[in-house]
Amino acid sequence: MIGRRKIRLYVTVGQRMLRDSLLFQLLLNDEVELVGESETGVDTLNRLGAARPGVLLIEENLQDNDGLTIAESALSLHPSLSVLLISDTPVSTGRLAIYLEAGIKAVVSKHQPVQELMKTLLYIRNGQVYVSARHNAAERMPTALNAYRALSRREQEVALLMASRVPVRDIAEQLGVSCKTVHSYKDRIFVKLGFERLPELILFMHRHQHGATS
Amino acid sequence: MTISGTPAVILRYDQEQDREQFEALFGKDFHVCSFASDQAAMDYLVYARSLAATPETANSPTNLAAIFVLSDRPERCPESVLLAVARDQYPHLLKILLGEAIELELLVSLLDQQLIDRCFEQPANPDLVRSHVLTAALTHREAPYTRATKPIIGQHKPIVLIVDDEPAATKYLARQLELLQDEFRVVCAQSADEALRCVQDEASAIAVVMADQRMPGMHGKELLDELKQSHPAIVRILTSAWGELEVALGAVNEGRIFRYRQKPWQAQELLSLFRQALGHHQELVAERDHSRTQADQQFAELRQQRYARLLARLSSINERTFSKSDIAAFLDLLLTIQTLPASSSHLRASRETTLEQQLEQDFGHLVHQQLEALEPVGQRHPSRQDLEVSLAAATDNEPGSTPTVHTPLSRLCQSLTTLLTASGLRTNQIRINQTDDILSLTTDSPLRMYSHLLAPLTRISRPLLEQQCALLMVYASTLLLGGDVDATGGEQSFRLTLRFANLKPAE
Repeated sequence: MIGRRKIRLYVTVGQRMLRDSLLFQLLLNDEVELVGESETGVDTLNRLGAARPGVLLIEENLQDNDGLTIAESALSLHPSLSVLLISDTPVSTGRLAIYLEAGIKAVVSKHQPVQELMKTLLYIRNGQVYVSARHNAAERMPTALNAYRALSRREQEVALLMASRVPVRDIAEQLGVSCKTVHSYKDRIFVKLGFERLPELILFMHRHQHGATS
Repeated sequence: MTISGTPAVILRYDQEQDREQFEALFGKDFHVCSFASDQAAMDYLVYARSLAATPETANSPTNLAAIFVLSDRPERCPESVLLAVARDQYPHLLKILLGEAIELELLVSLLDQQLIDRCFEQPANPDLVRSHVLTAALTHREAPYTRATKPIIGQHKPIVLIVDDEPAATKYLARQLELLQDEFRVVCAQSADEALRCVQDEASAIAVVMADQRMPGMHGKELLDELKQSHPAIVRILTSAWGELEVALGAVNEGRIFRYRQKPWQAQELLSLFRQALGHHQELVAERDHSRTQADQQFAELRQQRYARLLARLSSINERTFSKSDIAAFLDLLLTIQTLPASSSHLRASRETTLEQQLEQDFGHLVHQQLEALEPVGQRHPSRQDLEVSLAAATDNEPGSTPTVHTPLSRLCQSLTTLLTASGLRTNQIRINQTDDILSLTTDSPLRMYSHLLAPLTRISRPLLEQQCALLMVYASTLLLGGDVDATGGEQSFRLTLRFANLKPAE
């Protein structure tokens, strides 16, 4: 793909801790550029013009105003903006339809994994609407767990060491193989589990330590 | 068409294993109805239509959203009877081609004949394919509005904007086109930025944009993507001297371009293309204007009903604080605060969800709660110092931890704080002016109100209810304090002035 432009992202999330956590994740992707952030809807509308974002990530429930109303106002001022709405609870199909008609490009709920948010952000970058599968979120974890159980013993061993943050060189030494071999194990593990980054593997291993290793 | 439930799709396949693969990928997302021949698929279309037309079965799972053509010989698609029938008789169905190797010429020709809406090379990203179908199933695709569209005769001719960084070529083409016809003007821009400026300046006159893909700075596809968002009625054509299939597919699937043209340009051929594009533009404009007028009219009715219901509900809550005319004054103020115009999303929210009842109930409940907690008796005619002390106290209150009982003065100050917060303002923006006999209270800048009880709504949120209730409480408590409210609405904002008799404190 030639000349992919960066995603100019503006984030409006009320709570600082949630905003930081999201940004830690989103900014790991070098295609994402943060051009502004706000806690409130009014502040967002005041600063959007100068920040010129391509994507506005905004919470549905803000303290000062309704996030959706703010998004609608932002769209009337900047129609080429792509809005990604974060809802507190999963939205019904009927409500999603209304949001899409209001010009929202996608809705991700706080109940979904953060990977879903990242994926959605990439899909809506060119002004596309993105609707994800209804059933995926619930099935994701068991699937990863099954995939983990299907790994070879060696792969499981490497996954465990990586999740304990053992450097590749040490893993190679410990297993008596070359660094290159460890790297290819690593690639295979990521592909099979559907992960893209080490933090995902670390979290997965910690969360399922007992289930996964049994 | 039902919006809930799983959408159904028709799959026209050639190879059994392709069908199996497709059903494995999308079987959970759609009801897949697979057919190995055009005839069988068309028979099913007729059957599905008859089901939808019968009231008893109208809600059966025939929520058909798309037709997939999964062909091992996509080059035969231009002759597909199924696609032609779908185009002519089932315009709301999304026509999607999935093929192993798609030639650019094939894509261009399918687009010219309007036989497909989306096209993906295999292996396609299932997330994207699924999203296109679910979106089509969710968004209302009413039968295209067909009103005999008259050619625009008026003060200005429509403009065809040609965007290319080679001025020599475009100038020549523009001159040729101007000589060949008298229906439209041709304007040239040498970059996407210049094109965007043109669109800014002459938005209503520009009907068609033809952009070259390869330009320094913003590319043609990006320009067209942006125009699709900002000016959906402008018809978009992408052109290129390079046969980049990737770009063309993206422009079709994401940019919804009208046509794709390979260079070199032929003036005669472009002339007929632009005529078609102008026709399409007029349809889009007519459709847009029609749906705007419809939305306005229909919302005006909804608003009248809502006004009456709210007035009745609020009047029944508490006669001792409020007269019906006070409530009407509040509602009438809201009517003067302009918000965004109504759109189909608002109408759907009002009709297809419990929004209208919920609004009346939740607002009524909140008002009731706050009026109950309001001590009707207390000091009247507050002094400047009373107001200042009480405002400071209201600001210090932690949100949510409001005391159980309010005096009119503390209720007033609490409500003002809520209105200020919703406007991104602070208490120090309140001005208290004092003359010999009047104490007036106002804000430096207008207060914001992006939406209100009588505006088009897509959902009911806590901040909306609280802000609306706060404004009503400003009326209630000011009246209890012996003052009066003067408010005027503006563009998503209003100005508020409260006046109290300035009784000189005994010194």
